[in-house]
Amino acid sequence: MTVRVAFEWLNSCSGCEIAILDLGERFFEVLNMIELVHMPLIFDQKYYSVMGDGDSLQIPEADIGFISGGVRNEKHLEVAREMRKRCGTIVALGTCATHGGIPAMINSYTNDELLERYYSTEDTDEASGYPEEGLPALLDRCYALDEEIKVDVYLPGCPPHPDQIYQALVALVKGRQPEFKEKSVCDTCPLSRGGNLKKLRRFLEEPEPKDKRGNPLEMKCFLEQGFLCMGPVTRGGCGGEEKIPRCILAGVPCKGCYGPVINDADPRLEILNALVSNDVDISALEEHTSLLRFAGAHGLLRPLRNKGGNEH
Amino acid sequence: MGFEPRILGFACNWCAYAAADLAGIIRMQYPTNIRLIRVMCSGMVHPRMIVKAFTSGADGVLVMGCNPGECHYVEGIFKAKARARIVEEVIEAMGIERERFQIVWCSAVEADKFVEAVTSMMEKIKQLGPSLYNRKTFPDQIIRGKPNDC
Repeated sequence: MTVRVAFEWLNSCSGCEIAILDLGERFFEVLNMIELVHMPLIFDQKYYSVMGDGDSLQIPEADIGFISGGVRNEKHLEVAREMRKRCGTIVALGTCATHGGIPAMINSYTNDELLERYYSTEDTDEASGYPEEGLPALLDRCYALDEEIKVDVYLPGCPPHPDQIYQALVALVKGRQPEFKEKSVCDTCPLSRGGNLKKLRRFLEEPEPKDKRGNPLEMKCFLEQGFLCMGPVTRGGCGGEEKIPRCILAGVPCKGCYGPVINDADPRLEILNALVSNDVDISALEEHTSLLRFAGAHGLLRPLRNKGGNEH
Repeated sequence: MGFEPRILGFACNWCAYAAADLAGIIRMQYPTNIRLIRVMCSGMVHPRMIVKAFTSGADGVLVMGCNPGECHYVEGIFKAKARARIVEEVIEAMGIERERFQIVWCSAVEADKFVEAVTSMMEKIKQLGPSLYNRKTFPDQIIRGKPNDC
């Protein structure tokens, strides 16, 4: 028996879909297990019947529905709700769907500010403004998927590692709930740690030891060198089966793309707390909004209450 | 009926909670708007708990610990103080006035200081009005969705 699977994308960049293709040869194995019934990326299925004359949005019935991306406009909302109705299990694929992701950084600004910024910069002539017709209306902010519909499986990552997508698909096809360990990036990080962290500095110079960059087994913990690393508060697993976190492998600190370790935690609060609890002076941080660059939904990022007044 | 703030207080077992006890024993009057939670040390109050109190609808949060130099765990209050700073910044970013959070030191015998802290906090919050996350006043302002936070 094959399992019917639908893929849908909302406010996303298609990176998660690329990660699915990145399954490599396992992709063919997956294709033998599942029947793809809906995937806008690869086949042109009309939402409103073939002739476009249907009166309501149609998505085929499926056992498992993967949704990448958050919810930013009315169309996303409609598609997400239809997916919820048609699919037995909903998987939030990628950090945009689970925590808002990069697009949710807009939650620091209102829609008016966004449109003004987008349509009228200093040197654009006569901005025409946001089109009223033919485009779905923007919602007031960028929502994570679970703020609008019920989500059964969370698969964060920007993008999720193909190993985890494979693991989740296989588990779901066999009727099991996929399990991911709630471990931090530090748990999977091989850099050597001595336990003393006193000062933060900007990432303007090469981390020590300079000649060992790219060889993670001989490098020193970024945080202890004073470079802000989101590792302690970020869900691990980005390295997949190779285990070494991807950014660490590239010789840069973790940016926090897997979202918080515990699903509904606030990574900004957690990392600031981790720093001050260890006596680190956080005044070296110029701002802390960007600590939420992957988890700005769920009301964590908001436009500042009074502009200019109390900005940090 | 006017606005009655709901204030959550985290009081350390060794000083502030004892001060609250003492205030009760010597029958001092203080507003009933405060709900006290006894903790072993003000330094153990994770910022997550304070923010959770606010997002659950508290209009104000008080953290109360020992006077500097009298901490039962020697440096618990330094941790509390360091954490207070980030709590202020994070709640400000969340749309909550930073005055709604306060950290107070009072020893086990300073019942008057405890009463004074609670009273002044209550008055301050009354002036500020209900918090943005107070569901009675702003039922659908913030809490759209997020079913597991309720």
